Amino acid sequence: MKILGCFKVVPDLDLIVEEDWNIENHLHIDTGYAKLIWNCFDEGALEMMLRLSDLSEGLNVVYKLSALTIGRQKTESFLKTLYALGFSEGARICVEEEEEILFSPEMISEGIANYVKKIEGQDVILTGIQSSDGNNKMTPYLLAEKFGWPCITQVIGLEPIDEEQLKVTSQVSGGCIVRKVKTPCVLATGNAPCSYLRIPTLKAKMKLGKRPVTRLMPEDMGMSETAESVRVTALNPINRKRNTVVIEADSPQEKARCLYEKYLKERLSEL
Amino acid sequence: MAIISREQIVEGLEEILGKEQVITDEQVLKESSLDRYRKYEQVCEVYTQPIPAAVVYVKSTQEVADVLSFANENEINVVPRTGHSAIEGGLETALKDSIVIDGSTMNKVIKVDEYNMQVTCQCGVPLQELDDMLRERGYTTGHSPQSKPLAQIGGLVATRSIGQFSTLYGGIEDMIVGMEAVFPNGKVCRIKNVPRRAAGPDIRHIICGNEGAICFITEVTLKLFKWQPQNNRYIGYKLDDEYMKLGFDCLREVMVEGYKPSFARLYDAADAQQHFSAWLEEGKAILIWMAEGPANITPAIEEGIKGLMSKHPELEEVDPALIEKWYGGLNWGPEQIAEEKEEILATRNIGITTEVSGSWDNIYEIYKTACDRILEEVPDMTLMGGHSSHSYINGTNMYFVYYYNVVDCAPEEEINKYHDRINQIICEQVIKYGGSIVHHHGLGKARAKYVTQEYGSSYYMLKTLKQAFDPNGIMNMGTLIPLRK
Repeated sequence: MKILGCFKVVPDLDLIVEEDWNIENHLHIDTGYAKLIWNCFDEGALEMMLRLSDLSEGLNVVYKLSALTIGRQKTESFLKTLYALGFSEGARICVEEEEEILFSPEMISEGIANYVKKIEGQDVILTGIQSSDGNNKMTPYLLAEKFGWPCITQVIGLEPIDEEQLKVTSQVSGGCIVRKVKTPCVLATGNAPCSYLRIPTLKAKMKLGKRPVTRLMPEDMGMSETAESVRVTALNPINRKRNTVVIEADSPQEKARCLYEKYLKERLSEL
Repeated sequence: MAIISREQIVEGLEEILGKEQVITDEQVLKESSLDRYRKYEQVCEVYTQPIPAAVVYVKSTQEVADVLSFANENEINVVPRTGHSAIEGGLETALKDSIVIDGSTMNKVIKVDEYNMQVTCQCGVPLQELDDMLRERGYTTGHSPQSKPLAQIGGLVATRSIGQFSTLYGGIEDMIVGMEAVFPNGKVCRIKNVPRRAAGPDIRHIICGNEGAICFITEVTLKLFKWQPQNNRYIGYKLDDEYMKLGFDCLREVMVEGYKPSFARLYDAADAQQHFSAWLEEGKAILIWMAEGPANITPAIEEGIKGLMSKHPELEEVDPALIEKWYGGLNWGPEQIAEEKEEILATRNIGITTEVSGSWDNIYEIYKTACDRILEEVPDMTLMGGHSSHSYINGTNMYFVYYYNVVDCAPEEEINKYHDRINQIICEQVIKYGGSIVHHHGLGKARAKYVTQEYGSSYYMLKTLKQAFDPNGIMNMGTLIPLRK
């Protein structure tokens, strides 16, 4: 079974200094200095693929894992990490100005779809549900629509069945649902329990991580012609500041009493 | 070892402090039996060290004196602590039925003396809060270790801490003025606040760096400096990793020519990718400096450093804004620790650091040979690198950074299979080339076993100090001086 993991490399937004969130009248946040990390939902998806492969040991199913990303050259080191973890194919659609596709899930899904058509025979496309910077939350749905494949989101677990089916566990409101899914299909992970990707050893990186990455141009993947149906016109930061009252008193007991009398007593009586 | 029972220890402490200040909750005791040296055991919640009898929260110098006197009379091991951010085993309770004395409740800033440029505070004042408060007034302690969001003043002095701006302000030993400390027999000693004195040995250094093995620090006066971030200048260059030797020489050049940047750093390629992966190519090391101080000084430092570096064609200048913004997110706080725990549990991949120092003529060999040996001899390594972050006229430090996967190994065995082994290799290479095995985290218990090699003939002085001030052997036993097997 051939499984393609589609992932995005994103800046670590925790490292963005406060003043850079003050966007004012432009549509760009400077994240160029923040270290690069796996998009958290995609990271969970890639680890899920490896776990599925681990589970297939001793069974009559062989999983061929490949990965695709769209981004600048710096993202290739992430593909090489996947090589070191056992992925057999790694490809990058070369988009050096990532800002240009940040809010364009149509272009992204078009690029992925054309790559899938190009390499042929993919049984499963696995992605994260959204990226931490674009937050469009549309790519898996658009992909499923393009291919006419079923799409399951909020996937939290995959188990092998045979060459044509997977056991897919996904979160639904109030619980989990386990389904046998016939491939081909599109799967998207949300808050997966295994959200961290395992780390390859330096020896594995030396042995497996040096294979070249397949580079594809966006125009060859049909991305240039894709018309954007949605255009961003404004970005506004969320004001997370809260009003705060500092309780002044001589002892913790007095502070607790003051907290109770002034702020909690009335509310608690309403419960 | 205590000559009274665990129950009697708790009863005695409750008589001194009252029940509220004596904690015997099992989980608290377990978590107080170790520090971040046993990070893997800590995140797996596996506790291999003797569990202390109690953790006591002290509120005054007198309470510290009373608890120490009680411990001294009953030969109970005592582990002093404040911020609990130690990472070399200094807070491990190595003996049965120890008492952990926590000074974090002694957290008052006693006096900010802007005219004499000094601040006096109790041991449990968090450095972050102190420095934030001072910066609002236009001052700083000049002390900014990566542990700033966690560390408190007592522990910083006890471990002879150093901050990121050390090249300008020095280590904590250069910042301390006077101190108050309590010795195991309950004797309270105050060292007065004066700019300098030549009245015999500098007895502050019996206290500074004692790692809780000689006394309990209750109060510290630190120097103040003007806080002028608007004048900061950042300078950065990238270079091929194979030119690391040149990188050290560049750090040296700046120091030897007499410039005083506030930080001076050299990251090798492996470590650099952990910080600058957004824009730094793989295989590139990076050199960075920050100039801090009056408005007419910092441009001169910047110009001077750039002039020196312009003679090296191997260097390529980087946008200083990238360095400035990176610096804004450098510190290590509770959120990062919680996230790290989750990640370690999920991936069984763990990252550790070990800091050492060397002279200009041996630091490269220390760095290179230790890295090579670790990669050769230790299995499952996923990253091996490091950086120099504190430079002096005569040498610099090396902060080894390493990650490994814990494979086929129970949590309680991890320390032997990986961490101790790596520590051993680093210490062996440092000793072989003539550096110091400890730059700023303290010997703790992890590196105490190398203390005689580190000190050589001067070990006599350290041992005599310990025996003189702690004749009953109750102060953080196993730290500085290893326990006899």
